[in-house]
Amino acid sequence: MSSPAALLQPSALADAPAAAALRVQALHKSFDKREVLRGVDWTVPTGRVIGLLGRNGAGKTTLLRCLLGLSPIDAGAIELFGEPMTEPGGERLHRIGFVPQTFDLFPWMKVRAYLDFTAAFYARWNHALTARLLGEWQLDARQKIGQLSQGQRQKLAIVRAIAPEPDLLVLDEPVASLDPQARRAFMTELLALMRAPGRTVIFSTHITADLERADADIALLRDGRMQFTRPLAELRRHLQRAVLERPGGWREAPATPGLLKGRVEGDAALLLVEDPDHEALRALAEREGASLRLETPSLEDLFVELA
Amino acid sequence: MKAVGQLLRLPFHRMPVAGTLVLLAYLGGLAAMIGLHAPPMIAGVGAAGWLWHAMAGMTLRSVVRPETQLLPGFRRYLALAGAVGLALGIVLPLLVMLALGGTYHAPLIGALLLLAAAYGLVSGVGSKLSLVLMPALILAGWQPRLATILVKGAIQSPWTPPLLVLIAAMLVAYALRPLLRIDDREPEPSPLESTSLDRSTRAPDGAPVPRGAFAKRIAGLFDTVAQRAMERTLARYRRAPSARLRTVLVRRLLLPHDNPPAIALRLVLVAAVVALYFFAVMHRQHFNATVVGAYAILLGMARFPQLGHGMLRMRPNLADLYLTLAPATKADYQKTLIDALLVLVPVTVLTVLAYTGLGIVLVHAAEPLRMLLTAAIVAAGSALVALAVHLIGPENRLGRSAVNVVVTVAAMLLYWGGYWLLGAVGYALGGTLLALVALSFGGGVWFAAQREFQEREPRFDAPLG
Repeated sequence: MSSPAALLQPSALADAPAAAALRVQALHKSFDKREVLRGVDWTVPTGRVIGLLGRNGAGKTTLLRCLLGLSPIDAGAIELFGEPMTEPGGERLHRIGFVPQTFDLFPWMKVRAYLDFTAAFYARWNHALTARLLGEWQLDARQKIGQLSQGQRQKLAIVRAIAPEPDLLVLDEPVASLDPQARRAFMTELLALMRAPGRTVIFSTHITADLERADADIALLRDGRMQFTRPLAELRRHLQRAVLERPGGWREAPATPGLLKGRVEGDAALLLVEDPDHEALRALAEREGASLRLETPSLEDLFVELA
Repeated sequence: MKAVGQLLRLPFHRMPVAGTLVLLAYLGGLAAMIGLHAPPMIAGVGAAGWLWHAMAGMTLRSVVRPETQLLPGFRRYLALAGAVGLALGIVLPLLVMLALGGTYHAPLIGALLLLAAAYGLVSGVGSKLSLVLMPALILAGWQPRLATILVKGAIQSPWTPPLLVLIAAMLVAYALRPLLRIDDREPEPSPLESTSLDRSTRAPDGAPVPRGAFAKRIAGLFDTVAQRAMERTLARYRRAPSARLRTVLVRRLLLPHDNPPAIALRLVLVAAVVALYFFAVMHRQHFNATVVGAYAILLGMARFPQLGHGMLRMRPNLADLYLTLAPATKADYQKTLIDALLVLVPVTVLTVLAYTGLGIVLVHAAEPLRMLLTAAIVAAGSALVALAVHLIGPENRLGRSAVNVVVTVAAMLLYWGGYWLLGAVGYALGGTLLALVALSFGGGVWFAAQREFQEREPRFDAPLG
């Protein structure tokens, strides 16, 4: 039922500033015979906070690992800070922070020793921030990493990733293991740190409320391709849901200009429409003998409809 | 250079006691060389260097992951740390030796120190390359005179030092290459899998274990066999559901490679390795039958440490099993686990008997029945105890290691004692006495542990440490 609309084209970011933190072209990646990424084209301008959305198995983790050179790619090209990225290495690593989905490194090391070890590799390291976050997030520097809970390990991974004040921070499901309080604190910290000129954040998540709180740009990965990357406010401005309800219900959702996706639920037809033509919708409702209601969908609704 | 210092300190973080002891041995060796004016003490320094590099290898295996390579300059600093290790472990003691006037075969000694360090690193990393010594040992065991001639010739040859340096460089390069290669991760098998046949992609410390093509093929074979066993059991369960088949299904899930074909495959593989080793190295030596039986016990008992570790790792995933089984009470669920795992006792007895039988054939043992009877009784008792302590025993690594050592050594000692007893008082009386001691003790421990395990709350939390 969906049809490509101008707002949701991957090329919509082609008009983005030339100084892109990241450019991906025709990226392909397979595991054995299963193709996970099928020609991803994506440009992430510098200075944006991007929330990467996609269903389970959409390839978010694979995409993020490929971007950093942690997973070999089959075809395509990746540029980080304007330089081709083939595998990790070079001075650009000073500018990158990464929080993996699960943190299972160095279980035998104490938190303090681990942070000292990591800090030794970086040109800059915000010791004051590290100390503050350890205190606020109640991480005991004398404890062994193996004795931390999953949530605490995730907090440590986040501290370790943001302490070098990276220009590009990549986070793979960073808040999944955190309690709501820590999630809020993390988002606040993240935004305070990263909402600075030249800083870019890409994070994958299923928790759409966090993306709303961060007022992030939304990137949607589906069917192995990047469907779109747009500011949330812009999505909200342009996308509306028309609810057409009539007693006899609908066999299928009716068509209307700008229709992205339509489905039938009970007696109602739910139409996700880009830049809805109100006159056309009213005429449709009148013709079909249905009541019309226009709603602004939440990000979660959008995710459910589009992902 | 801070990063180099941090890399060099890693083995101390991981193994503080062993690291300190090795450092003291190194310093002691150097001090002895200088203080006693004894250049031959360089052998002690070389041994410390070998141990140090083995520890460094073990540490590297758990440190060098794709994520770690996002640390800026990681490979460069790693190379620098290696150079510092080379300077301290080889160049410095060699210079001290030369300064003390020990110039005899200096290039050869330097090359040997390098080879020892490289071999330590390779062993620590867990690379199969550490088996390169095997051909030399086989040769020495098979043709000792020829080996002596070759060694004497090698000592005199000017080509030996560069050849040894080349071998050391190749060892290091081939050991580190898979670690530094960024590759996609393989899916893991069940954490309860035995590591004895290279079946796990993860070491107990969580580090990925590199596997060669042959090992991957064997792993694939085991997985196919496990899959078929599960499908057969499922089909039988669908045809005629029963409590017994339900337990078998749980068993197939928890212990995917303890079905009859997989056990047979494992026995064949171990038998092939043992037979090859025996024919190559040991066939000239006289064997004590108790050693063969005790070795069979050791091989059989090697299954249990992985069980204890795997049960801990599997705990969060067992929540699925709990919900699927929907037991009436928590104790029922614990009982289901116990019933499923109890199969390890007959499997262990069978395995030990098979290995003992193989040993009997290989060494032409004079009293096969005495060996088999002792092995069967001891294996049954020891397997019950091992299963019990791994169900309710300590969770931390040190505690588990201690339990493993105690149980295994006790089982081997019991075999020796039992074998002597059967010889002293006859098979009937000795066997009965041994069975009374081993099985009553094993049974007692097992029933107590079973009761304790059933009383405990099922746990699904991730293990700490």
